[in-house]
Amino acid sequence: MNFGVIKALVVKDFALFFRNRFYTFITILGVITYLTIYFVMPSSVDEKLELGLHAPVMPPVFEIIQQEEGLEFVLYDSKEALKDAVTDGTHEAGVALQVDIMEKFASGLKPFVTLYFSTDAPDELKDIVEALIIELSYLQTGQALGIEVSAKILGPDLLGEQIPIRDRMRLMLAIMLIMFEMMGLASLISEEVEQDTIRALLVTPMSVRDFFTAKLIMGVSLAFVQGALFMAIVGGLNSQPLIVLTALLLGSALFTGSGFLIASLAKDMLTSMGWGITLLLIYSIPAFGVIFPGTVTGWAKAIPTYYLTNTIHQASNLNAGWGDIWTDLLILLAFILVIVWGGIMALRRKFR
Amino acid sequence: MAQDAIVADKLAYWFGDLVAVDHISFSVAKGEILGFLGPNGAGKTTTVKMLTGQLKPKDGKAILLGMDVPENIEHVQSEIGVCFEDTNLYQRMSAVENLNLFARLFNVKSFDAYALLKRVGLAEREKDRVENYSKGMKQRLMVARSLVSQPQILFLDEPTTGLDPTSSEAIRNIILEERKRGATIFLTTHDMMEADKLSDRVAFMNQGKIVALDKPLNLKQKYGKRALKARVSGKSGTLESREIVLDTPQTPGDLQNLFEKENVVTIHSEEATLEDIFIKITGRGLTE
Repeated sequence: MNFGVIKALVVKDFALFFRNRFYTFITILGVITYLTIYFVMPSSVDEKLELGLHAPVMPPVFEIIQQEEGLEFVLYDSKEALKDAVTDGTHEAGVALQVDIMEKFASGLKPFVTLYFSTDAPDELKDIVEALIIELSYLQTGQALGIEVSAKILGPDLLGEQIPIRDRMRLMLAIMLIMFEMMGLASLISEEVEQDTIRALLVTPMSVRDFFTAKLIMGVSLAFVQGALFMAIVGGLNSQPLIVLTALLLGSALFTGSGFLIASLAKDMLTSMGWGITLLLIYSIPAFGVIFPGTVTGWAKAIPTYYLTNTIHQASNLNAGWGDIWTDLLILLAFILVIVWGGIMALRRKFR
Repeated sequence: MAQDAIVADKLAYWFGDLVAVDHISFSVAKGEILGFLGPNGAGKTTTVKMLTGQLKPKDGKAILLGMDVPENIEHVQSEIGVCFEDTNLYQRMSAVENLNLFARLFNVKSFDAYALLKRVGLAEREKDRVENYSKGMKQRLMVARSLVSQPQILFLDEPTTGLDPTSSEAIRNIILEERKRGATIFLTTHDMMEADKLSDRVAFMNQGKIVALDKPLNLKQKYGKRALKARVSGKSGTLESREIVLDTPQTPGDLQNLFEKENVVTIHSEEATLEDIFIKITGRGLTE
């Protein structure tokens, strides 16, 4: 490997990258936009649980519990009105009590309680409301109500350890920011092929290995510096910074390898953008799972960025240590090796 | 005997069933200019690609400066300069930046980009981005780039195609200067006049094979038809052409008749062009 050659290529690539007005603009705009989005998002979590309630007769315990912080019932005159409120999204859940609830409590019988949930209510909420009703029945009578309950463990987020939406989003913003560099790199390589400058390079003492090493250095450093800077500004390095930086470095390598793949498919800047956006959307899916828990299921594990997002989320939001995330990092590394190798092979074919 | 700069020994390359280069053999001496001629698709570019290490020969050997090209690729490439037919410069960089980049790739110490640009007539536009250059300026920069490392062997692919006479002449002068410096020049061109003027020897390539390789004069003598062309004044006063083929038993008689019976206005000798010879050998034109 010729370090003088690699240095010359890296300097050249940076110069060409920043002379492309579009990518320079997108890079600066990306940093500013994502930082703005982060800082305008609420920094605290609304921990109040608001439920719709139809109660022809209000058990005293329901009134007492409302005075406690964190739970509020909005009363509806009829069951139909309650159902409408849940259906139109006013409440994610509603509780309908029967007229004879107090008599049943008094006689030791089990009253019937109907729970309504909106279609997009997360499982955690269903568990919470079911548990809440059981708890209230115990408080009122010391016996269980006749409703179906499941003994699910509540997720940490809704047990008073919620993560502000902007901190959940921080991860996606950082990843999207560095993913844009993937398109920039792909475009730079496509241009090299399109303008045939690669042929001029290949008849110099530069080896193909030097060429790819230079592109890797350029792609990884450009993406990593932006990602690290962004995370530092938005407080993403406050918890487990070494793990977060390691994950960002690996993520930058993943996106650089993906940039090679895109460049092997693309013919010019426009097709680079097309392929890049397609891949960007796929790569973003696991990050949506962090923002909206429960929306992304097991199949997302087939997406390499799942292991990147999971690592950064666990480390920066939940203070996970090396022991918790090492398997994710290992799988991510395996994906990187396959993607970088595949990208290089595909590009080499294009150079011939 | 001095070592040849370029040796092709039964060099061959094929793409599937299509034989692009069919076991060709030739050599180019140090300091020699070889004109490499042939129509499109004859196999010239593939030959150059094998000689410059861009393609690995499927058969035979490509040897430059005594080194097998595929086995010593980096060493060989540090001794050659290549000027491509199509412009492949970094458009968003200036001429100086383009040259400095290649100087670093060739590890040239104390490189003077300005002096080289002055030599090709671009010194005044040294800091302009290449995207703002005319075609002629870009081509001159391409030639300059191939000279960055003062290579021992220069591969020039159609270096003057599409250029104005001034730019073409400037590039021809550089080629001759490089030969004077001792460089070996492998000149691929369609321009017969240029090949004739510059080349010590020319090689004709057709359908993957070298069909002729010799000094231009020898080829003309061997394949060309020597003749005298005369313009005579006809009976009605119009000018008419007459041709007398030389080197035949009838030549003296024909010549005598011309001067006795015709009113000769002009007369000059005519020799075959390389294009004529190529057509004679291959049955097809160079631009087909």
